Formats: sequence, C-alpha cells, structure tokens
Amino acid sequence: MDITELRFLAATLVVVIGTLFSLIGILGLVRLPDVYARMHAVGKVSTFGVVLLTAAAVLTLSFAWSKALVLIVMLVFTGPLTSHAIGSGAYRLGIPMRQALRDDLARERIQD
Amino acid sequence: MLVYVRLVLLCALVYLALTANVELSNIGVGVIIGISIAVVLRPKPEPLSLSRLPFVLINLARYVVWLSIDIIRNGIRVARIVLDPKLPIRPGIIAVPSSMKTELGVALNAHAITVTPGEQVVEIGEDGTLYVHCLDVDSSLAGMEHAQRLRKEMLSRIFE
Repeated sequence: MDITELRFLAATLVVVIGTLFSLIGILGLVRLPDVYARMHAVGKVSTFGVVLLTAAAVLTLSFAWSKALVLIVMLVFTGPLTSHAIGSGAYRLGIPMRQALRDDLARERIQD
Repeated sequence: MLVYVRLVLLCALVYLALTANVELSNIGVGVIIGISIAVVLRPKPEPLSLSRLPFVLINLARYVVWLSIDIIRNGIRVARIVLDPKLPIRPGIIAVPSSMKTELGVALNAHAITVTPGEQVVEIGEDGTLYVHCLDVDSSLAGMEHAQRLRKEMLSRIFE
C-alpha cells in the first residue's frame, strides 16, 4: 500500500465521519423541540461537518493546506457568532423554551 | 507604529495563505492589502513585547488542542442525545459568571462556550454574566465551574 492510497483511505474515513455528523445535526434539527435546542444541532453541522470535509479535501487533492487552515479558522469563529445571534434574537422576540427546567435570564429580567 | 507593522504582517500572511503561492508579487499585494486595512482600522497603540511571543504561541496551541478535545467530546454527547429514541434533553438557561475582565476576554469566553456543542451563550449581561442555554442543564452545571477555570487560565495567559 503506497502513500497516495493511504491518504485516500484516510480522506474517505474523514468524509464518512463528517457526513455522519452532518446527518445527525440535521436529524437533531428535525427532532429537537425549540429554536434554542435546534441551534445546538445546527452548530454541529458547521463545526464537524464542514471542518472535516475541508480536512478531507486537503488529504485527497493537492489542495493547499494553508487555504484550508484559514477557512477552518474563519468557520470556527463565525459559526458560533451566527448561532448566538439567532438564539439571542429569538430570546428578545420572546420565543418560549419548551420543557425548560430553569431560566436564569428570565429571573434576571423580572428583578429589573 | 509597531501595532501597524504587526497588523500589516498578519494581513499579508493571511493573504499569502489564501493564495498559497509565495511569490514576490503576491507578497506585494498582501502588504498593500494589509496597509489599506491598517489605514481603515487605525489600531490603538498597545504595549506588546516580542519576548512574550513564543510563550503566547505555546499557550495558543495548548488552548486550540484543549478546545478541539472539548468540541469532539461534547459533539459525541450531543449526537447520542439526538440519536436516542427517548430524546433525553433537559434544556434551560443558566447564569455563568464570566471569568474574564476585559471586553475581548468576555467575548472570547463566550465564543469558547458557544463553539462547544450543547452549550450556547444567549445573552451577555451588563456585568459580563453569560446566560448559557444548555441541552443538559445538570451535566453542564456540573462541568461548568471546572471548564470556566481552565478557560480563564488559558485565555489570560494568551491575552494578558
């Protein structure tokens, strides 16, 4: 087994894991009850799914790894930002949480 | 002046990484882009010492490794919750005191929490309190204090 074959095998494994996590993320988007819980599942697609697929691209193609590194850093920084913005926006609009056990933020608002 | 040089160098480096082609013309374009960004941003002068750079880089690497392990561990935990037929979620919002003092520190702390699956900062209070939405309140509460202490330790080594 030569090195290109090994790289291809590793890339296939990474693609399978990345796709699996994306699939689970979408399943979570459908199954979870409210906006806030769904954001957790969606966030997983952007972190695991896209980062692993980028890693696979570096492994198979003679794709520049530095491009992939910059891409991954930007994704890891912007992903949480969007999910925070959506979650925060939903809370300000007053969209209720389902099955919530506690809400420290609501308690804070009442005291104000 | 040194702040400007640092910003220009950083921008040029990112540009070179994106082109993935170290040629003189690319370096030139990168420096021009860096200078235009520096002119637009006008960074405030701040004390920095080059002797701390290796120390900062080592701690940055440690932080990235720790964060990656945390993301993978929590990603698997959330995946198991989603795949479980009973969907055992115990969602809620908990208040977590921020461990950092500066605004940048609070923002990075919030980023570190939000990037881990299963925990997400919904709101940041006036005093820097982070309101974190968790998929599983009990396990997040149990692990939060320890995780916050570690985050504070690593982030303050990098940025202060």
